[in-house]
Amino acid sequence: MTTVAAELMKVPAFVRRDFLTAWSYRMAFVTDLVGLVGQALVFYFVSQLIEPSALPTYQGTEVTYLEFATVGLLLGGLIHFGTQNVASAVRGEQLMGTLESLLVTPTAPYTVQLGSVAFVFLYIPLRILLLVGMLAFAFGLDFQSSGVLPALALLVVFMPFVWGLGVASAAVILTFKRGGGLVGIATLGLAFVSGLYFPIDLLPQWLTTIAEQNPIALAVDGMREALLGGAGWAEVAPTMALLAPLALGTLFAGLLAFELALARERRLGTVGLY
Amino acid sequence: MIEAAARRSRHGPALRLVPPSGIDAEDLVRRFRRTLALDGVSLTVSPGEIHALLGPNGAGKTTLVRILSGVIAPTSGSVRVAGANASANSRELRALIGIVPSGDRSFYLRISGLENLVFFGRMHGLGRRAATHRANAVLEHVGLADAARQRVGEYSHGMQKRLSVARAFLTEPRVLLVDEATHDLDPEGTRRVQELIAEAAGRGAAVLWATQRLDEIRGFARTVTLLDRGRVRFQGSVPRLLEHSEPRRFVVRLRNARPGGIELHDAQRALGHMARITPPIEPGSEHHVIALTEGSVLGDAVAALAGAHIQVLACRQERSEIEEAFLALTEADR
Repeated sequence: MTTVAAELMKVPAFVRRDFLTAWSYRMAFVTDLVGLVGQALVFYFVSQLIEPSALPTYQGTEVTYLEFATVGLLLGGLIHFGTQNVASAVRGEQLMGTLESLLVTPTAPYTVQLGSVAFVFLYIPLRILLLVGMLAFAFGLDFQSSGVLPALALLVVFMPFVWGLGVASAAVILTFKRGGGLVGIATLGLAFVSGLYFPIDLLPQWLTTIAEQNPIALAVDGMREALLGGAGWAEVAPTMALLAPLALGTLFAGLLAFELALARERRLGTVGLY
Repeated sequence: MIEAAARRSRHGPALRLVPPSGIDAEDLVRRFRRTLALDGVSLTVSPGEIHALLGPNGAGKTTLVRILSGVIAPTSGSVRVAGANASANSRELRALIGIVPSGDRSFYLRISGLENLVFFGRMHGLGRRAATHRANAVLEHVGLADAARQRVGEYSHGMQKRLSVARAFLTEPRVLLVDEATHDLDPEGTRRVQELIAEAAGRGAAVLWATQRLDEIRGFARTVTLLDRGRVRFQGSVPRLLEHSEPRRFVVRLRNARPGGIELHDAQRALGHMARITPPIEPGSEHHVIALTEGSVLGDAVAALAGAHIQVLACRQERSEIEEAFLALTEADR
């Protein structure tokens, strides 16, 4: 078995550990579900105020604000939970005192990172599907079934970007202990100019220009084209081609930052400090 | 003070025997900003040997253990653990060592002891079935089988320590680094942990046992390194360490052969310049401390008291021999 394969075999152990830990806080599951219902209601009532004509069309199809915002919510949830959990995984290990215990096992830092987020990246899509299902059932959303697979493919291509942001955040936390807020601000900035919850046309022209290069905007726009407009593989392929190197580059930069942060901590002798 | 003569100093190389796969640290220096935590520490632990790393708080014991485990890098010096370069912090090294850390916070408290061990077993490359099998075996071995499915957060301090030992035994480590494993454990808990570690040494593991509890190394460790403020004050066997013990303070239980109880000034007069005697340790107690002056011996002091009709019912050193040696070595240049 190759080293990489042997390392990947460890990931299910992280998933089991995190599932058992999350399951031990059953109340959190319940409150999360209640929160989802609340979010759905808020977006339903906001959608009553916004005319479809104020929104962009996708593949010539006019959409409601609820449909527009649901795709934004889907991706926004992924970014928020993804970055938060990737970063807090390391922070949590530091606070619990288990980081050193983990780092003295023959496990690669990238496995620690991947393993720490594996459960979250399995849980988030389930959570999103639940939200979308609730909204679709309650408010009759009109999603194009032909666009579901291309949209999922876009989501998969986009995932490394979220992971990269989270790992970068973890590196900042390792270095500055409480520096996660810095990456949080950067992520908020990216989310603001992404069109997750409102069309980017509403932004000032110079911000619109920036937004068009934003990986989040590329992803959310591509997913709306697929899910709301029914865009097929041929239509989303250019977006995927643009997104893939950006996402992989972000992930690579994040992992590099984490490795460097870890090496620095070893040098300074402050791995377990928080 | 350094017993091992054939040791390389920082001033030049010398002949030395390198153990095949134990611990071999050479001239380790570790600075934390302006603080010098380790200052030229060299250490050799052979397979099957239990080597005590003794020292007061802040001596540098945990820093040394963390360097040996690859968690932090030395500022200078070289270190080989189980044949691997610990400075490189390779996975190869981490696969060969078992660590019992000093703190309690090294487990996932919301999940069971068994699940914790299975997780760490898998981090060591065991498959799920093998990890579960091994975890159950080591839990049985450390006497935690009944608590296997209990959350670690509900474990007592002693149980968590034994779980730490169990984790270190998940693989058959060639080197065991044990940092203050018996700190605030009761005597029974201490004995149990020591037995487990001694068994591992019996199977050929090189054990470094860091402690500040002096009493626990006698009959347990074969060799000792005494660290104080980052420097080695003594290195050698336990009997050689005891040679530095010159006990001068004794707790004696005195009773007057005549009625009326002990008069302190009578006792002091009898002892003369041989020793100073304190008032009773507690009011109404028969226990006193006598401190011998330089050149005096205990037998003469006891004879002098007997001559003054004061019976010495019991006598023991105020501190253990190891403690005396420890203090003699660490207080020498304070």
